[in-house]
Amino acid sequence: MQDTLYRDIILEHWQHPQNYGIIKNPDIDVEENNPYCGDIIRLTIKLESNKLTSSKHVSGKRSASRIGILDKPETKTLNINKVKEVAFTGEGCAISKASASLFTEEIKNKTLTELKAIKPQFVLDLISVPLSPTRTKCALLIYQILQKALKLY
Amino acid sequence: MNKLLNLKSDFPIFSTYPDLVYLDSAATSQKPQTVVNAVTDFYTTKNANIHRGIYQLAEIATTTYENTRNEVAKFIHAGTNKEIIFTGNTNQAINLVAYGWARKFLRSGDIIVLSEMEHHANIVPWLRLKKEKGIKIYFLPINKDYRLDYLSLRDHEVAKQSLSIEKIKLIALTHASNVLGTINPLEEIIPYFRQLAPAAKILIDAAQSIPHLPIDVQTLGIDFLAFSPHKMLGPSGVGVLWAKEELLEKMDPLFVGSNMISVVTKEKATWAPLPDKFEVGTANLEGVAGLASAISYLNKTGYENIIAHEQELIEYGLEKLRQIPGLKLFGPLSPENRLGIFSFALAGAHPHDIAQILNSQNIAIRSGHHCAQITMQVLCVPAAARASLYLYNTKEDIDKLVEGIKVVKKTLRI
Repeated sequence: MQDTLYRDIILEHWQHPQNYGIIKNPDIDVEENNPYCGDIIRLTIKLESNKLTSSKHVSGKRSASRIGILDKPETKTLNINKVKEVAFTGEGCAISKASASLFTEEIKNKTLTELKAIKPQFVLDLISVPLSPTRTKCALLIYQILQKALKLY
Repeated sequence: MNKLLNLKSDFPIFSTYPDLVYLDSAATSQKPQTVVNAVTDFYTTKNANIHRGIYQLAEIATTTYENTRNEVAKFIHAGTNKEIIFTGNTNQAINLVAYGWARKFLRSGDIIVLSEMEHHANIVPWLRLKKEKGIKIYFLPINKDYRLDYLSLRDHEVAKQSLSIEKIKLIALTHASNVLGTINPLEEIIPYFRQLAPAAKILIDAAQSIPHLPIDVQTLGIDFLAFSPHKMLGPSGVGVLWAKEELLEKMDPLFVGSNMISVVTKEKATWAPLPDKFEVGTANLEGVAGLASAISYLNKTGYENIIAHEQELIEYGLEKLRQIPGLKLFGPLSPENRLGIFSFALAGAHPHDIAQILNSQNIAIRSGHHCAQITMQVLCVPAAARASLYLYNTKEDIDKLVEGIKVVKKTLRI
């Protein structure tokens, strides 16, 4: 049974995690612990802000739905925040560490909107080994931290 | 060579899972068939609600319940059976003391002495009181041999005048650590504290110790004792608080409602006499029935035999585990005053992964902070793997654990 769980990719990412460390002056800095094992993972993210000018996007559905407000086309500048750098630290188990390593690789260059759309299954698919309910919590620890971060930023 | 016990056949879980190596008895014990039968028997032949029933079945249920109270009183040498309060578990028993006694009688600036080897059950109720009432908490340290440095209270802290002895109102201490396995020598510690701080009450958390050691509250000379029968072969959902009658009389109930009252009017309610005052609502009747059977099993087996059996396993386990390269034991290396609780770290492996790989070999251990985060902070580890023994374990179980750890190392390539 352990042969499938502790397959090469897990062991590789556990022993040599990608994006392991702390980013200086991060835009996002959150910590979360797994109350079942006491593991703490810290996630730091540096964002890249791209200015995007759009007239269509803003004046469409949203303003039309507001009663009493004239649907006057307007031009707005949006800040599209993208993950420029991401890093994590923490002494987690092989599953939580490998999951954080794989996941942080995946979220690079994603916008905050894209990050918000990520579902837990996405993380479990990265791990792609059958996990018990308890170990699922280990795998999703990094995801929970990101959720916490997205609420704050 | 001591005579080892051979009890596995008394425990139905081992016939259901013949390959199970159960090494998590510090979390909960397995149950002998006699206890399982007692619970079933309650439902098949005795089930009715207790007290205030005139019909025969209710009388039988009440007698069964109260008979267990008598058995518990005898088991721990309580002065009277009124001193035995059934709660849901050890946590609830300690909360009852925190709410019903400490919250009522302690004042801002009073000191509660705990230790760094307490379970959360004996920390968190006091931390809440600290926040609510401005009570101070002092944690007796763990020394380098993983023993309690109880003398530090006088030698270091009082000398530094950071503590004034007369302010110490409660010493709440575990009899044995659920992480380190350390047994605190109460026969030395309690007289020392009684002399040092005569005004302090003493509470002992016996959740870990009572499955393995006989407890005599009179000889120990303590004020409160809390334990959970599910760790000593009994059903879960039952806890016991013992306290001196005079203290219980003065204490407030934690929960109020039915069963615990004397008279209820539109204006007010008055409390029932002991022990009902602290037992609100319908109790875990089948669990209490099972507890009497667990006590009977322990008495029949005999603590002297349990101690001899476990002592031999502890010596064997320490010897075997110490030979494993990279394994660090968090607990005393000498078998004296020690339970068969082996918490350990394996260099390069997380406890969750150790437990996971052992699980695939049918070996059940626990990994995590073991509800003792302060102990883990002192050990400077976020988590540990823990194998814990009880009277049904064998040397073969320890051999399988040792072999299992080798597989862990191989799987994780460490």
